[in-house]
Amino acid sequence: MSLSVAVLLIVAAAMLALVLAIARMLKAPSVADRIIALDVLLSAAIALCIAAGLSSGRVLFMDVAIGLALVGFVATIVWARVVDRSGDAEEHA
Amino acid sequence: MNTIGLLLIVLGAALLVIAALGLWTLPDALARQHAATKAGTLSLALLLLGAGLLAESEGWWWRIGVVIVLLVCTLPVASHMLARAAARRGLTPRQIAEAQPMEPPAAGDGER
Repeated sequence: MSLSVAVLLIVAAAMLALVLAIARMLKAPSVADRIIALDVLLSAAIALCIAAGLSSGRVLFMDVAIGLALVGFVATIVWARVVDRSGDAEEHA
Repeated sequence: MNTIGLLLIVLGAALLVIAALGLWTLPDALARQHAATKAGTLSLALLLLGAGLLAESEGWWWRIGVVIVLLVCTLPVASHMLARAAARRGLTPRQIAEAQPMEPPAAGDGER
């Protein structure tokens, strides 16, 4: 009973966060804002993994969450380096 | 046990929405980043703990520990690198200058 309520809550919150983050990514004032929105999107994805694990009762989804956390870390660092490097090339000049 | 888990999940879900709302409401890129990183980390930790309390099985707990340790170790590093890149790009001085008139109230409730 409380399990399905919890799953419903997590899915609703994650969907709301996904919509807000994707809209932010589409109309962001700067490149850094897009990367921040990507960060929030990955947080929502991890929350959806937790909801999937709870509703199906399989621990397997937590492994997916571990993988997503790692991929999000690497992605944010690489995008930060891209922003860092491309500073003088396009907009800054 | 169930009630505490459900409470943690409610708090985590609310914080996740607040983190996404912070992307829209906060004045400049660094403040938005604080909202996304801090509230995101705390909400995921709360959701994981609540899920562990609700699931009540052995295999969950060490995976939850791994995810939380991973998030706490990696998210600040990634956030710091992104903030440094944004500051080097010169994104912030203009935006901070724009946000200057509403500085005292924004500094108070934006940072919690």
